[in-house]
Amino acid sequence: MAKNKEAKAIRGGIQKPQFWIEPYLFLLPSLLIFGMFLYYPFFRTIFLSMFLTNKTGHAKIFVAFTEKDNYLALFKSASFWASVRVTFKFVFAVAFGGLLIGLTSSLLTEKKYAGSNFTAAVYAMPIAIASAAASMAFKMVLHPTNGLLNNIMGTQINFTGDMRYALGSVIAVTVWLTSGINFIFISAGLRNVPAELYDSAAVDGAGYWRRVWSVTIPSISPTLFFQIIINIIGAFQSFSQIKLLTEGGPGDTTNVMVWSIYMDAFRNFRFGSAAARSVILFLIVMVITVIQFRFEKRGVNY
Amino acid sequence: MKKTLALILVGLLAVSFVFAAGSGEAAPAKAAGPVKITFWHSMGGVNGEAIAAMVNEFNTINEGKIEVTYEYQGTYDEGFAKLQASGGNYPCDIMQVYDIGTRYMIDSGWVLPMQTYIEKDKWDINQIEPNIAAYYTVDGTLYSMPFNSSTPLLYYNKTAFEEAGITKVPTNFDEIYEAAAKLRVMNADGSVKRYGFGMGNYGWFFEQWMGKQGLHYVNNNNGRGEQYATAVAFDSNGGGLAIAKVWDKVLKEGIAPYLNIGNNDAKAAFISGNIAMTLESTAALKSLLLNIGDRFEVGVGYFPNINKGDKGGVSVGGGSLWMLNTKDTRREDATWEFVKFMISPEQQAKWNAQTGYFPITVAAAETETFKKNIAEYPQFQVAIDQLHDTAPQYAGALLSIFPEARNVVESYIARLANRTIDAKGAVDGMAKDINKALAEYNLVNY
Repeated sequence: MAKNKEAKAIRGGIQKPQFWIEPYLFLLPSLLIFGMFLYYPFFRTIFLSMFLTNKTGHAKIFVAFTEKDNYLALFKSASFWASVRVTFKFVFAVAFGGLLIGLTSSLLTEKKYAGSNFTAAVYAMPIAIASAAASMAFKMVLHPTNGLLNNIMGTQINFTGDMRYALGSVIAVTVWLTSGINFIFISAGLRNVPAELYDSAAVDGAGYWRRVWSVTIPSISPTLFFQIIINIIGAFQSFSQIKLLTEGGPGDTTNVMVWSIYMDAFRNFRFGSAAARSVILFLIVMVITVIQFRFEKRGVNY
Repeated sequence: MKKTLALILVGLLAVSFVFAAGSGEAAPAKAAGPVKITFWHSMGGVNGEAIAAMVNEFNTINEGKIEVTYEYQGTYDEGFAKLQASGGNYPCDIMQVYDIGTRYMIDSGWVLPMQTYIEKDKWDINQIEPNIAAYYTVDGTLYSMPFNSSTPLLYYNKTAFEEAGITKVPTNFDEIYEAAAKLRVMNADGSVKRYGFGMGNYGWFFEQWMGKQGLHYVNNNNGRGEQYATAVAFDSNGGGLAIAKVWDKVLKEGIAPYLNIGNNDAKAAFISGNIAMTLESTAALKSLLLNIGDRFEVGVGYFPNINKGDKGGVSVGGGSLWMLNTKDTRREDATWEFVKFMISPEQQAKWNAQTGYFPITVAAAETETFKKNIAEYPQFQVAIDQLHDTAPQYAGALLSIFPEARNVVESYIARLANRTIDAKGAVDGMAKDINKALAEYNLVNY
């Protein structure tokens, strides 16, 4: 025993007691912050989702696994399933729409030409605009009787109040908001594609589209993959556009899960149900992330 | 050396967290110096500036004695959610809460009823407009002090009325349909250039129309009886269906365009002349006149009846001041002084002139400020007359889950506008959703 200790001391040479605590001390600030703002709320949410809460947000009646169970109530609610469907439609459209516009715009500004800096600035602009401010502006653009868009098209479409258009309108605004960051990252990705690849493709007689498809896209696939993940995460978290443009309506047509969580907790004071929705959203996002990383192994060339 | 320094820093950081957690505790009030109280409000824009001016005036008068800090908390919904999330930690001394938060506030147990101070101070309660006080009085107790009160009105484009040869202001929907048909202007391609009428999908109007029909929104004496409300009444008494049918007709027959939830889109459409009549709060008078300028003349009329011959009346909306039960007598005394100042005739007359909310104090009508304002905006007299023409029994429902109920109503009207349900389906859906929420709320909270 004593020998062992001695050996350790000799081998390490620095095994003074304070160094057992030291790493934890360094970790302490971040542990405290994470604990307070991440882990505690996370476990609190799971806890609350098993209760009916009273008006001050305190757990009141334990309902897990009973007929009043929050999860069971959600699974039986048509509005909840509508909200899940809307969320998927929204996320899919925003993630790929934003990527497509980002890709197109960065391909358009890839080669320098007169005014290309200006166009690049225009394409990148949405990242500099707060989503709330943009939503307010679009609210006026989309106004049913005197909005800019209706005036231009000579129509009287209620873009935010008509079930046929509401989701599309919110998606369009969000795609536009997302396109800026996609443009920036994809543009940066394009700069890193080695010129030799294009040269050899040109020698092989590949046209523009062939080069984009066979050289550019595979070469920037890590960027595209990264951007898709960022878009999906961002789309799941979209809130201000929904709040300002449609408030989740009409009906449930734009009732994405984040909005329904907000409504349940802060308008309807049902924290238990809101917590259950949050847990379900967490599980969905987790599953999607796992799928994405599986897919990455097959589809992305580093 | 470097390492020791880093360790000390980390240690300090950790310790500071502990202190930060503890610093929320109030230091014991010092006897010297002014009593400091905090006022949470939800008035943005011009109205917020008016609040600031009033508070500053109060602070100047009471220098060295009382100091009020005002904090803007976002919209009514947001401020209310913040108070509610504080879970009874009394983040402020006095707070402006919207009308539909009344039942929740009473139930919360965080509140010191104004009645307590009214009796302690022998303050004459008859100074308050009776039809306004009625809303905030439950079982003979005035819980909160009315502060910014409004009622809905019919606003119309007077210039368009004259062009169309309409002389009588519509008082019910039959008359609105008639006027709207005359006011409508078509484009050459057959689309509508100007609708005769248009209204926002605003749950407040639904509540008002229940009162206008003289009917109750919820059971148990409209939630004002000894027992809290347990179910809606608008489905069984037919009032809800009458309202939904009006909505259905207005939209289906193209009398008005659907102008979305809330009032902003309707307001914008009226200002730009796309609709010739609309429904809005009295509190919007000032901003409407300001935005319309001299493009057309604005007239106002009573909030229209759903059916010809409805005998009820409007109730007040807006907000009131709630004193929180902080159990610190010095601060509560100071808060009462502040309340008395805010509703004094001079302040209310000024408040009225700057915002368009009613002066809640009867004596405000005698002030020069008020007389000058009425001379400048004669439209406001209609609002005052409408308020005097209603009666305390139409004070409106009290409902703990009113914010949710209002959303439910709006959401079903939106479905109706999109023709996914009919009028009866809308009312049934509203009743079902609200009753379910109410049952759960009552189960957990009483």
